[in-house]
Amino acid sequence: MSVLDDLFRRVPALLMARRNLSRNRIRSGLAVLGIIIGVLAIASLGMFGTTLRTGATQQLGDIGNEISVSPNFQEGIEELTERDVDEIRRAVTDGAVVPVRSESKLVSRGDRQTVTTVYGMEDPGALYEAEEGRIPDRLRQGALVGSGTAGLLDVEPGNTISVDGRTYRVSAVLAEQQGISLVSPNNAVIVPVEDVNGTGYSQVVVSADSGQAANESAVAIREALNEREERVSVFELQSITAGINEFFGILNAFLIGIGSISLVVAGVSILNVMLMSTIERRQEIGVLRAVGVQRGDVIRMILAEAGLLGVAGGVIGAILAVGAGVALNAFVLNDPLATFQAANLLYIVLAVGFGVGTSVLSGLYPAWKAANERPVEALRK
Amino acid sequence: MNHIIELQRVWKRYDTGGEVVEALKDVDFHADPGEFVTVMGPSGSGKSTMLNVLGLLDTPTEGTVYLDGQDVTDLSDREMTVHRKRFIGFIFQSFHLIPTLSALENVEMPTLFGDDPTARDRATRLLERVGLGERLDHRPDQLSGGQKQRVAIARALINEPRILLADEPTGNLDRATGRSVLDLFDEIRREDDVAVIAVTHDPQIGDYADRTVELIDGRIQ
Ligand SMILES: Nc1ncnc2c1ncn2[C@@H]1O[C@H](COP(=O)(O)OP(=O)(O)O)[C@@H](O)[C@H]1O
Ligand SMILES: [Mg+2]
Repeated sequence: MSVLDDLFRRVPALLMARRNLSRNRIRSGLAVLGIIIGVLAIASLGMFGTTLRTGATQQLGDIGNEISVSPNFQEGIEELTERDVDEIRRAVTDGAVVPVRSESKLVSRGDRQTVTTVYGMEDPGALYEAEEGRIPDRLRQGALVGSGTAGLLDVEPGNTISVDGRTYRVSAVLAEQQGISLVSPNNAVIVPVEDVNGTGYSQVVVSADSGQAANESAVAIREALNEREERVSVFELQSITAGINEFFGILNAFLIGIGSISLVVAGVSILNVMLMSTIERRQEIGVLRAVGVQRGDVIRMILAEAGLLGVAGGVIGAILAVGAGVALNAFVLNDPLATFQAANLLYIVLAVGFGVGTSVLSGLYPAWKAANERPVEALRK
Repeated sequence: MNHIIELQRVWKRYDTGGEVVEALKDVDFHADPGEFVTVMGPSGSGKSTMLNVLGLLDTPTEGTVYLDGQDVTDLSDREMTVHRKRFIGFIFQSFHLIPTLSALENVEMPTLFGDDPTARDRATRLLERVGLGERLDHRPDQLSGGQKQRVAIARALINEPRILLADEPTGNLDRATGRSVLDLFDEIRREDDVAVIAVTHDPQIGDYADRTVELIDGRIQ
């Protein structure tokens, strides 16, 4: 005896339900199709939302881990001093502190030239990675060229460039940064900090290891520097990512809401199918009741039918949704495996649960109606 | 008094929108174990109504129903269902088999919702007894009328009832097939000590009956 037979023997409602559904395969198939579409809609719209969010997060990169400290111009503070930087270094327990000076300067190589932002940094390795060449631990001489500027001036490591008349050997061309960044290197040139005019710094970038560490650092910096007067303004990029996350949360709820409408339609079609089939089977149900089958068992039998429709539709819908998710992620993110993440599993479970729930709910009224018909009435011709 | 079932002064009225139909009028009736009683009468005389009251499918408007000495007139739907399952087997004119189930599953059907490990063996033996041992896996549409009625009889017997109620059991069968079904009833009531109450127009049932009750216009003559 197979497992299925065993199950049917143990749960007779299921056996009866399965036989009843196979009686009119086309009708059952159409009811299942409705659930498939509903489940597919919810799950794939949910996964679509996840894909959008993942794409956006990739664009943003790790900016949630960065904070920017800049002088508070409203209090008349023009730049951050060495003392400020020391205090920031003390406040930040977990992460790199990179003071930055910046200016616009004319950069040229041979007969090509451009006006671009020049950053003065001591420790650019904390923020950037090299595409070609090597970023020294401390930048004392030489320059790093952002990918955009490098393309414009046709620069490779080892070339020399001139910044406002001063000559630098290029140590590295920096990797293009995909995300938004506080100090974007792409169209910039980075030189030793002493080479940029001024004594103080225009901003200090703190790159922490996690969003939480960034947040803790921000709190500590405000406490340390803004005790007596509002010396600095601290900008946490987390506020952007939090807003974006919230937006995608709302978008997802909206998409799933749209998907749910199709499931409601599927529910109505199941209600219709179950109602028709119980009306057709009036006499049979009357016989069941006559030979001693209780009302509750009739209800169970019909709910099992509706449930089977829901489970069949849910399983098929889930499989199709995974297929759709793989295709979508392969296309949008170039990463089909991105489908198999916790959020998506949740959407699939949610969609299947909704599908089965809708079906069973739609079976309730027909079941109740069939079980409450008096057998004498059902058996009268 | 060892009546297995008894009706005392039973009335059944149907209120059909203003006009009240009296389907049973002051009916006294009883049957004993092993007895074969036929109920005869013209169409519309209340035979089916009486059978439904006897079978706990319907409750009388007035009067009392005793099953195995117990007053079962005012039981709940649940209790009536339990008593039907335990005491009563039904046989209908149009068989009422479930088309999606095999002969064997149809016979098992009354035991299906409940833990009954020997049901399959009993059903197999009953089908062998009614001469359908070779047809266990046939579906109703693969059986003749007489064979269907035999499956229905086996189904009625699966829970070893004390009473067999048959509403025109030979009505859809030819004479010879009808006779073989009646022979089966005769055998059952003798061997199993079951009370058989059959409603009929069929005069040949008279040959088998211990007693014939005539209903005319809701009254026993
Ligand atoms: N549910 C009902 N509602 C109204 N009238 C009914 C109902 N059931 C039976 N009757 C009436 O009761 C009478 C007896 O019916 P029935 O017992 O079916 O007769 P028989 O089986 O002898 O042909 C008939 O007049 C019939 O119309
Ligand atoms: Mg009748």
